[in-house]
Amino acid sequence: MAEPTELEDLPQATVVRPKRSRISIIWIIPILAALVAVGIAIQRIRSEGPTITIIFNAAEGIEAGKTFVKYKDVIIGRVTQVQLTNDFARVNVTVKISKNAAPLMVEDAKFWVVKPSISITGISGLNTLLSGNYIGFQPGVSDNSWDTFGGLDEAPVITEQRGRQFVLTASDLGSLDVGTPIYYRRLQVGQVIGFDLAPDGKSVVLKIFVNAPYDKFVYPGTRFWNASGVDVSVGADGINVRTESLVALLVGGVSFDLPPELAPTESAAANATFTLFRDRVTALRATDPNARRYVLYFNESLRGLSVGAPVTFLGLPAGEVSSVGLAFDAASATIRPRVVITFSPERLLAYGSVPAEVQPFKTALQDPQKRAAVLRRLVEDRGLRAQLKSGNLLTGQLYVAFDYYPGAAKVKLDLRQPEIELPVVPGTFTVLEAKLTSILDKIDRTPLEAIGSNIKKDLESLDETLKSATKLLADADAQIVPPLKTALEDAHRTLGAVERAIDNVNSTLLGPDAPAQQELRSALQDFARAARSLRVLADQLERQPSSVIRGKTDAASGGK
Amino acid sequence: MRARAVSAAQVGLLACGTCRQLTRPADKANPGDCPRCGARLAWRRAHSIQYTWALVIAAAICYVPANVLPVLTTTAFGSTESDTIMGGVIFLYVSGSWPLALIVLVASVMIPLGKLVALSYLLITAQRGSVANSHERTRIYYAVEFVGRWSMLDVFVDAFIVALIQLKPLMSVEPGLGVVFFMAVVVLTMLAAQSFDPRLIWDAGHDYRAQHG
Repeated sequence: MAEPTELEDLPQATVVRPKRSRISIIWIIPILAALVAVGIAIQRIRSEGPTITIIFNAAEGIEAGKTFVKYKDVIIGRVTQVQLTNDFARVNVTVKISKNAAPLMVEDAKFWVVKPSISITGISGLNTLLSGNYIGFQPGVSDNSWDTFGGLDEAPVITEQRGRQFVLTASDLGSLDVGTPIYYRRLQVGQVIGFDLAPDGKSVVLKIFVNAPYDKFVYPGTRFWNASGVDVSVGADGINVRTESLVALLVGGVSFDLPPELAPTESAAANATFTLFRDRVTALRATDPNARRYVLYFNESLRGLSVGAPVTFLGLPAGEVSSVGLAFDAASATIRPRVVITFSPERLLAYGSVPAEVQPFKTALQDPQKRAAVLRRLVEDRGLRAQLKSGNLLTGQLYVAFDYYPGAAKVKLDLRQPEIELPVVPGTFTVLEAKLTSILDKIDRTPLEAIGSNIKKDLESLDETLKSATKLLADADAQIVPPLKTALEDAHRTLGAVERAIDNVNSTLLGPDAPAQQELRSALQDFARAARSLRVLADQLERQPSSVIRGKTDAASGGK
Repeated sequence: MRARAVSAAQVGLLACGTCRQLTRPADKANPGDCPRCGARLAWRRAHSIQYTWALVIAAAICYVPANVLPVLTTTAFGSTESDTIMGGVIFLYVSGSWPLALIVLVASVMIPLGKLVALSYLLITAQRGSVANSHERTRIYYAVEFVGRWSMLDVFVDAFIVALIQLKPLMSVEPGLGVVFFMAVVVLTMLAAQSFDPRLIWDAGHDYRAQHG
C-alpha cells in the first residue's frame, strides 16, 4: 500500500558529532598548578634540615624566628622556639638547621651566643650590635649525629685556625686567663684557650694554642715561662729591664724559647705537656735531661744553703741544689749533712765553643761508661772538689762551688751508686774560721803577764841609765866648756895675725907699685928683646946658612 | 507558568554572547554566527562548568603555597625576615593596627577563599540543577565578578614596596615566591568567574541539556 507514512514515523537521521573528549584542555591549568605546588612542596621538604635543641643557661638576646645560627658568617639555622626547660633552670632553644649544614650536627659540635664583648685584648662581636646576637657554631670531629647540645657560655677561642694545642702545667694561674697571648721572641703566636685545676688540685693545667706556622718552633725541649710583669736585673752592664709587650704587662703572657744549649729537633707533638716556669731565667736554667744527681756530704753547717741554690763549676752556673738534709753515716756512726745536687757541667760546653767540636764530646758523655771515666779523671787526677761558698756576706746565702784543688787529698770515686758521692773540701768560711781560731789560740798561749813585768823592769833600768847620762852631760858641761872658750879666743887672735901677714904679702908682691912687680916687668922686657934677636938670627941662618962660618954680608942682609 | 521565568533557550532562541541580539539559531546543534555583530553563537558558554571547575581547582591549589610561602623577604641591618600573608596580618594585629590587619585579612585571605567557595557553590548547584536561591546565587556571581579586579591589592602593594625600598646594604626587600602564587590565585579566580555562565543558574529544573547537549 502506497499510503504515505507519517513523517514522524520515519527515523530521524542522526548527526554524528565528532567524537570529542569529555575532558577539556583547560584541565592542564589545575594540573600545572598542582605540579608546581607539589614541586615546591617537595623541594621545601627536601631542603628541610634537622631540628636541634640547644640548652643554654640564659636566652641572652635570643629571639624565636630572628636569631640565626652562623658558621663562618653563613646562616646555617634559625631559632624557631625559645622556652624554659621543664625544671625552669635553663633554656631550650630549638633551631631549624638548613639541609646542607645537617652533616655538621655531630656529637661534639659547639654552640655559643655571640654578643659584643670588649676586653683588654680586643673587641669582638661588634657586628652583633646592629644585627643582634646570634649563635656561633663550631663543627666537631665526631661522626655521630646529634640533636641536643649544651650551649657554651663563652665562645671557644680557637675555631678554625691551623696550629697545635699544647698543655702547660703551672703551680698557679698567676695573671693568666683565656685569651692571654703566647709570645715567641716577643711575637704573638698564640693564646691560652683554657685552664683547669689538675685532678689532684695541686697544680693548674693550661691549654694553649700556637698558631701555624709558629707551632713548629715548639720543640720537646722548649721551655715556657710566665712573661707577665717586668723582670729587672742588675748586672755588671747596668740595669736590665725585660718585658714582653705592653699588653703582656697588663694582662699577662706566656713566652717560650729553646734553651741556648739545646739544638732544635723535631717539633713537639700536639697536646704535648710542658712545665710553665716562673720566669725566663728559671725556665732557661731549668735542669736538662742530661743533669745527673750527685750527693755531697759536708762536714760543716748548712745554714744558708737552700734548695734551688746554684751549683757552679769553675764559677759558672751548672746546676742547683735539689735537697738538703741529714744522713746517718753507718761507718762512723755519726749524723752528717747530706746535700743532693743536680749537676750537668756539660751544659756549659755549649757556651763560646764551636758546636761541631763539642757535639761529639757531648754525645760521648751520653754513654755512662765514658761519662764515668771523665768524672773519675776530673775528680781523682785533677782534684775536682765541691766547696760551700758564701754567695752573699750580708744574708749568708751559701752555694756549692766546684773547683780544681790539685793539692787536695786523694779520693776514690764510688761510681756504682745511683747518686755518686763527690768529694768536698771545707768551705771558705770554715777555713777562715779555723785560721782565726788558731791565731787566737796562739795569742791565748802567749805569756803576756811575764812579758809585761819584764818590760817594766827594762823600763826602770832604762830610766836609771838615762839619769846617769844626764848627770854625765852636766859634768861635762862644767869641766870642759871654759878652757874651750879660751882656746877659741886664742885661735881667733892667731887668725887675725895671719890675715895681716897675708895683706903684707899682697902689697909687697902683688901691688902695682910693688918692687917685685917692676923688676919682673923689666926682666920680661929684656926677655922679649932677647927673643927678638934670636928670631933675627934664625932668619939670617935660614937665608944664608953660610954666615955662621963666613959672617954676615950686607947684600944678603937686605934692609937691615 | 507565569511564576516561572521563560528563558530564550526554552523557546528555541538564543542571545548573542557579545551584543545580546536575540536570534534564531541556524541549527540547533550548531547555532551559527550572530547576524548583527558576527560573533560565534552558542546556547551557553562552551564547557562552562568544566572550565570553571578546572580554574577553581587550580586556584585552590595555588591558594595553599600563596599562604605558606613568604610574600616579602626583608633584610634590615643584617637580619633577614620572611613574611607570609598571615604573618603580616598577625604582625599588624600584634603591633596594634587591627584595622589594617582586618583589611589585609579580608582582602588577601578571606576574599580569595570566599571566591573559591562561592564559585564552587555556584558550580555544584548548577550541576545539580538546584532551583533554590537562584536570585541569591546570581547576586553572588556578580559580587565575585566585581570583586575580582580589586583582588590584586596585595600584589600591587608588594610590587610597590619592593621597588621603593632598596637601601642596600642597610635594607632591602625582595618579593617572595608566595606573591606569585597569590597572583595566580587572583588571576585564576577571575578567569573562573569569567568562564562561568550565569545563565546556567536559571537553567535549573529545565531540561536544557536535552536541547544542546
